Amino acid sequence: MSATVTAPAGGSASGTTTEHTPVHNVTFFRLLRSEWIKLWTLRSTWWTLGSTVVIMAGFALMMAVVVQFLTDQMSDVEMAPGEQASMNSMLGAPTVIAGGYEFAGLVVAVLGAMVITGEYSTGMIRSTFAAAPGRLGAFAAKATVLAAVTAVLTTVSLGLGWLISYPILNANDMTLDWSNGDDVRKLYGVVIYTVLVALFALGIGALLRHTAGAIFTAVAVFLVIPFIFNIVVAFASSLDWVLDVNKFLPSVAGSAITPSGAQVPEVLDPWVGISVLGAYTLVVVVAGALRLKFDDA
Amino acid sequence: MIEARGLMKRYGAKTAVNDVTFTVQPGQVTGFLGPNGAGKSTTMRMIMGLDRPTAGSVTVNGKPYTAHRRPLAEVGALLDAKAVHTGRTARNHLLAMAATHGIATRRVDEVIDLTGLQSVASKRVGGFSLGMGQRLGIAAALLGDPRTLILDEPVNGLDPEGVLWVRNIAKYLASEGRTVFLSSHLMSEVALTADHVIVIGRGRILADAPVAEFVDGAARKTVRVRSPQATELAELLKAKNAEVEDVEPGLLQVRGADASAVGELAAASRIVLHELTPVASTLEEAYMSLTADSVEYQSEDLAAVAAATSHNEGSKA
Repeated sequence: MSATVTAPAGGSASGTTTEHTPVHNVTFFRLLRSEWIKLWTLRSTWWTLGSTVVIMAGFALMMAVVVQFLTDQMSDVEMAPGEQASMNSMLGAPTVIAGGYEFAGLVVAVLGAMVITGEYSTGMIRSTFAAAPGRLGAFAAKATVLAAVTAVLTTVSLGLGWLISYPILNANDMTLDWSNGDDVRKLYGVVIYTVLVALFALGIGALLRHTAGAIFTAVAVFLVIPFIFNIVVAFASSLDWVLDVNKFLPSVAGSAITPSGAQVPEVLDPWVGISVLGAYTLVVVVAGALRLKFDDA
Repeated sequence: MIEARGLMKRYGAKTAVNDVTFTVQPGQVTGFLGPNGAGKSTTMRMIMGLDRPTAGSVTVNGKPYTAHRRPLAEVGALLDAKAVHTGRTARNHLLAMAATHGIATRRVDEVIDLTGLQSVASKRVGGFSLGMGQRLGIAAALLGDPRTLILDEPVNGLDPEGVLWVRNIAKYLASEGRTVFLSSHLMSEVALTADHVIVIGRGRILADAPVAEFVDGAARKTVRVRSPQATELAELLKAKNAEVEDVEPGLLQVRGADASAVGELAAASRIVLHELTPVASTLEEAYMSLTADSVEYQSEDLAAVAAATSHNEGSKA
């Protein structure tokens, strides 16, 4: 019974037995390894992660050029120190470095959704659950790998953005001030934001089990709805309820911690805002986990 | 060893598996036979903990599948050939599966060799033929060197050489003392591979017996008798404990008496016979008659369909 099956090749049943195949208990660490392999052995991962880096770095360069352009124009005009400061807050180093984070967030959402919907649409999920019949362990491993990869990738992208924009920012005396707690927080806030967006999309994916549906939902939540509210707020900023709803939207609340947080008329405190997005994410992920655990695969 | 007790699965108003109880013993190949839609795949998914039974329970090697700590060492399953991400290569799929149980890369290459996938191991699964997909599914099933194998329609899409290979490997694994549970909708396939057969139709177990016994019991011989005095002959045969069926006036189908016995009886009673034909029903016919009432998708009478079609064409012209 313990002998390993090998080699009745072709039409012959003359199997030979070799030494015992060591098979170990399923542990969370082994599930992490499996999910790690699964993530990197799909081309879609390389495409989504590659485009995230390109978008982030590209936006940083573009924003730096915009800064240069504005400075060139302003240099003819005498500016009061106060005005200079307000421009810096609008277009400071964090805004430049993390310029593309909202788009990067969308790409990461696509990855987060596909990590799970790709398994449901291809039938792979049955292999996954055959190996990890408890299901939640595999899902937790997926979430952990996704969150870690997103965090590292966003950090690398920000670093790249910093490097690319450095020459232009330096020439305009606008480089990132590492001693300014708010500016540094805005940057790691971007990391927290993209990680939460990826996990949110993973939860949606587990709930819907459908790639197109999950991506559509994530895009609606993080792009379309805030876009519509942006217009509504512009025209109806006197309505309190519009502002209230707007600031509690997942994307608006979550971006309070990022460089774009200060640019919205009414916004939550950075840490309150990101906690609100964290709470939404938790609800969606738990709902997705329950469906994944208790519904037929 | 697989033990199902009162297993039931309902999807809305439809009952896919209805109060199914059976035991699959180690050391032999057990065929799971039934028409398409009979509940074979649903039963196998419930064994694997993928579908939740509406009622009843099933254990593998003494425990529910989900309670095992090394599930791939307990059960290797080929549930359908496409339980693989199409964007991943065959080898990477196996590596990811192996990682969950800390199975060495050497074993991954071993099952690739064993299933003859060497030439396509580094190709993405999306481009695989059905046969290659089946081989990959079997490779994944063997990965953890499991004590129990569950193979859902394993010969689907395989070429004759592949079919033979599956038969041999199933028998070989059983000979090592493993439990092999293999489904098919083809009686002939089960007759060639299995030692024991469980027949399912419309979600119910119709037979559970050694293949030899099932074959003997099912493939009983009948005799066709045509006679102008059929009614009279039928009475005489029934008196001799034979089973008689009136096919049409003047034509009888007799079970439980062979042609010579019927001929002698007719001669002794001065009954004229126009025809006396021994009819041996095939295994396939036996299976068909067993599951006739439980086929999910009845094909229509071809002649009737053809007639209707030609009629329609005629009226159009």
